[in-house]
Amino acid sequence: MCGIAGRILNAPGKVGRDLVELMDAQEHRGVDSTGFAIYGPPRDSGYVLRGMGFDKAAIDADVADLVHVIRDHGADLKADPQLLSDSAAHYCFRMEISDPRDLAAWVADADTLTDRIEIQSCGRSLEIIKDVGGAAAVADKHGVREMEGSHGLGHARLATESSVLPNASHPFWARPFSDVAIVHNGQITDYYTWREKLERQGYRFLTGNDSELIAVWVSDQMKDGLSMEQALKKSITSIDGVFTFMIANTDGIGFAKDRFAMKPLVVIDQGGDIAMATEEQAVRRVFTDECDVINYDGPSLTGLWGVGNRAMAA
Amino acid sequence: MSEYIVDVGQRHIREVNEEIQEACRRGDRIRVVNTLSRHNLGVGLPPGAELYFEGSVGYYCGGLNTGATVEIERNAGWAVGEGMSDGHITVGGYAGMSVGAAMMGGTIHVKGDAGPRCGVAMKAGNIVVEGRIGYQSGFMAHSGRIIALGGAGDSCADALWSAEVWVAGEVDSYGVDVVVKEPTAEEVAEVNAILEPLGLADSSHNWRKMISGERLWYFESRDASAWLMI
Repeated sequence: MCGIAGRILNAPGKVGRDLVELMDAQEHRGVDSTGFAIYGPPRDSGYVLRGMGFDKAAIDADVADLVHVIRDHGADLKADPQLLSDSAAHYCFRMEISDPRDLAAWVADADTLTDRIEIQSCGRSLEIIKDVGGAAAVADKHGVREMEGSHGLGHARLATESSVLPNASHPFWARPFSDVAIVHNGQITDYYTWREKLERQGYRFLTGNDSELIAVWVSDQMKDGLSMEQALKKSITSIDGVFTFMIANTDGIGFAKDRFAMKPLVVIDQGGDIAMATEEQAVRRVFTDECDVINYDGPSLTGLWGVGNRAMAA
Repeated sequence: MSEYIVDVGQRHIREVNEEIQEACRRGDRIRVVNTLSRHNLGVGLPPGAELYFEGSVGYYCGGLNTGATVEIERNAGWAVGEGMSDGHITVGGYAGMSVGAAMMGGTIHVKGDAGPRCGVAMKAGNIVVEGRIGYQSGFMAHSGRIIALGGAGDSCADALWSAEVWVAGEVDSYGVDVVVKEPTAEEVAEVNAILEPLGLADSSHNWRKMISGERLWYFESRDASAWLMI
């Protein structure tokens, strides 16, 4: 049991604040860790990186090594890295960088450092914030309520398939595709075989979490020419297990639900002002007046919501 | 009987339910407002209690009911009336997944549609849905009746024990081990007796009565493919 949520605003605004409310209302679904994927104002060039390091005694050296890899690929920091270190064993970082020559090649090189420091999101707009603890604790630590943007995802994790570790929590970035993130409620039973296939194609997975597969799987299908809608539909017959997942990019949010219809999704859509969550009482934190809710209760469902009522490329 | 108002909002649900139980002991009729789709409202209600929930409620509303009459104005989340042994629950709008899960008696009346696995593992009692029942409704229901007037989704009446699923309208597909029977006049009269007090008896219903083929009651290796379909 996990809790997931999504939010699309009519116009860019305090999407972080609403996502924290949505996740606070669903904290009982998973208290291990909480995470957010927030799509802030997009850049014309350059990327924002979010990530984590695991050896606090070596912060300076490990961050410097990551910066070396960035420079090796023709990019540079736009400002000093922002570091966040508290009583937890890990520390978190945020960096803004200019464009590397080849994004995938740079990510592959940066991933040689992942036993010490790992990138957890890379996007023109996307920032993934995740940590152990409940919604309020993670929001307080990382200032999530103050984050502005057009849309985003949230996740409360009850670990069933892998360890409770800060980097094994959701959302997951579709490494190395910029600006793609997923949240997942359920269990994928054949993730190991899919992972092996994707690893043979050169993809890299950093955790033992089954959900990490989904982001890369969908992105790989889209790289091969499928639209997001086609990839979501294909996931229902291709990926085995129990799932309702949501995937976001800069255009909006899509979802897919498995053939057994175990994991709910409730949506309020008021003319493109949209909140999605596992539980209705969570979306009612954002839309408190009695209003129409859509229950995606059936099996084998998919859907897409565009930002600003834009139709997503079908 | 005076009316007592319970305001839910973001209060702790245990405190709300204690206030409801206290009002039941006084014999008040209860109106619950500002429900905000919260979970576990009105669980374990005593016989004779009368409650009206304004708006929509979350999961397990009216669960473990032992004889109260409950009306929900709009929608209910998962498992409305789960495990109830007696009483009557009316849902004005849509009822989510697992309506009346494992219920042991009483009646649940849904005016809109119902979600997947309506009546899952029910032991007795009646569920009447004016709209359509969702995917895999009646899944492993032991006894009692599920009656849908507006059709059924896929895999209807899947893996039944001894319950009956009655559907008027289209059935998208049947579940594993379903046998569709032509009901006798006596059986139709029994169902009409359930519908009559709800104002829903109608001789023009074209019933499909679904019962278990009893093939899944015991595992036999020749049935392995049927088991794998579940």
